[in-house]
Amino acid sequence: MTAASAPTSAPAPGTDANAAAAQQPLLEIDGLTVEFATLRRKVKVLEDVHIQVGKGEIVGLVGESGSGKSVTAMSVMGLLPDTARITGGRIRVGEHEVSAKSKRQLRSLRGRDMAMIFQEPMTSLNPVLTVGFQIAEVVMEHQGAGQGKAMARAAELMKAVGIPDAARRAHDYPHQLSGGMRQRVMIAIAMACQPLLLIADEPTTALDVTIQAQILDLMVSLRDRFGMSILFITHDLGVIAEMADRVCVMYAGQIVEEAPVKEIFTAPAHPYTRLLLRSIPSARHKVDRLETIEGTTPSPHAFPEGCRFHPRCPEMAGRCREPQTFERLNPARQARCWRAREILARLEGSS
Amino acid sequence: MTTGTPSLLRRAAGSDFLLRFRRNRNAMIGSAIVLVVVLVAILAPFIAPHDPERINMLAIWEPPGSDYLLGTDSLGRDVLSRILFGAQVSLIIAGSVLAVTLTVGVVLGMVAGYFGGWAETLIMRTVDVIFAFPELILAILVAAALGTGTVTVIIALSLVWWPGIARLTRSLVLSVREEMFVDAAIASGTPAWKILVRHLLPNIVSPIIVRASVGVGFIIMAEATLSFLGIGVQEPTPTWGGMIRDGLASLRTDPHLALYTSLALGLTIIGFNMLGDGLRDLLDPKVRDR
Repeated sequence: MTAASAPTSAPAPGTDANAAAAQQPLLEIDGLTVEFATLRRKVKVLEDVHIQVGKGEIVGLVGESGSGKSVTAMSVMGLLPDTARITGGRIRVGEHEVSAKSKRQLRSLRGRDMAMIFQEPMTSLNPVLTVGFQIAEVVMEHQGAGQGKAMARAAELMKAVGIPDAARRAHDYPHQLSGGMRQRVMIAIAMACQPLLLIADEPTTALDVTIQAQILDLMVSLRDRFGMSILFITHDLGVIAEMADRVCVMYAGQIVEEAPVKEIFTAPAHPYTRLLLRSIPSARHKVDRLETIEGTTPSPHAFPEGCRFHPRCPEMAGRCREPQTFERLNPARQARCWRAREILARLEGSS
Repeated sequence: MTTGTPSLLRRAAGSDFLLRFRRNRNAMIGSAIVLVVVLVAILAPFIAPHDPERINMLAIWEPPGSDYLLGTDSLGRDVLSRILFGAQVSLIIAGSVLAVTLTVGVVLGMVAGYFGGWAETLIMRTVDVIFAFPELILAILVAAALGTGTVTVIIALSLVWWPGIARLTRSLVLSVREEMFVDAAIASGTPAWKILVRHLLPNIVSPIIVRASVGVGFIIMAEATLSFLGIGVQEPTPTWGGMIRDGLASLRTDPHLALYTSLALGLTIIGFNMLGDGLRDLLDPKVRDR
């Protein structure tokens, strides 16, 4: 690949957090609240979610299953099911106010300004259409190219995502490709119109570890080359450590902590983040039992009052039952915890 | 862009489809019979030994012989020629009904299955209402109400047949709609009609083809029934149903009219059914590898 020809405007990986904060972020989710209507009542699945992704930045969104990661992604893409409604907050991508757009306007944004890759490369491609055509389709839709031109562009994109013999492979059907190759095709589809924002919803979960590493490398190199922003959703903290510049930790429909990737691992301010990190098995220390977090994730029907983590939290104090906000701890960090400052001070003191 | 999809589809189906088709006995026999019927219908004006509508009162109820290979009817018309032209009438009606029901049924079924909501309620409740009637009785009612003639038969049979196609299409769309690749297509900004035509239709087309090919047999049968009852295509146009009715009157004395016409009708229906069965085996991925 011709990484040398990368545009100079693309920021280098690992951009200084202050510099990223100085310029207007590309994706800004501000106080997003999403409700799902069930037969009996309305359930707030997301409440007061704040995420910012700078230009060329990779932000990891981590959380357990059911914490609201995918609903957040779907809200940004405008792909929420009919039963869901955005009842508060706003979402901005570039200069587009996504949360205020009509369905038709959203459709023209999808694929052009923002694209998404999914967890299952096996089922995300249409089995009866050639992979080349499925890439070309997006090019034809958004750039009005003719089929010949679009197919040539498809082969080019397939080459860019590291598919060998791309011109010939473009005529293959999805079942003729391996899982890793299919995920590369999905990435090529997402990259077809060089979107500003790429949302990756657990793109490597269905792949084995070596392929996983290749796909992650590919995504980083595409970011370096084209300078797009990536919101990377995963429950795998190892992947986050490798990929992300900044991390948002999600718990029970809220962002509980946001920090540069290094700080998340060295000095987690929120007790949930800390316990989450402790439950990762380590290669260095031999343990008989893995650490677990007592209790279970609350269901959206019955989120606890105040801090949603307080029933499971070892640091729980009286104030934790009172509602609290997503508070800025320092220019680069935010947390939703009454005791975050205290915990951070303690960590700094001990180190 | 319209030229791209079919050629891609053809390549998908072409690879080993022909080979498996040739090994499938139902498909081979069925398609052979269908081919013969279609050729006969097309070539009827050239291969028929007599004018099918020419009355010859000097040769009524002739038994099969050298002048009239399959004999003559009560007005001295050549039975063989009438059977050959009757195939034409049957196929024209079956083809028209199929064209109408496939268009209406697939479009409405896809709309109902993909968009849901009030459109689905309206379409599917209409389907239910039509399904509540016995098919043939409803066709007879409609044909009787609209008066006789080829167009009437086509309208009556189409009205009865489209709900089945719509219901099948809707159920197929409901399952394919949930596939990730549909979400992926939506996520890359593909408009709804393109998702329907490019992503859903190719994935549901084989069961519909099977349904249609089996359906042809039923439609020909129903058309013959209407003509048999005297409310279908009218004399002097030769129809198999009408000929069987005429032949029935003199079944004991001159069985050849009813016999040969029934054979032609039966063979045609069996042909289409065998083709349909064969195609189902060939196109169904679950049965394919047995």
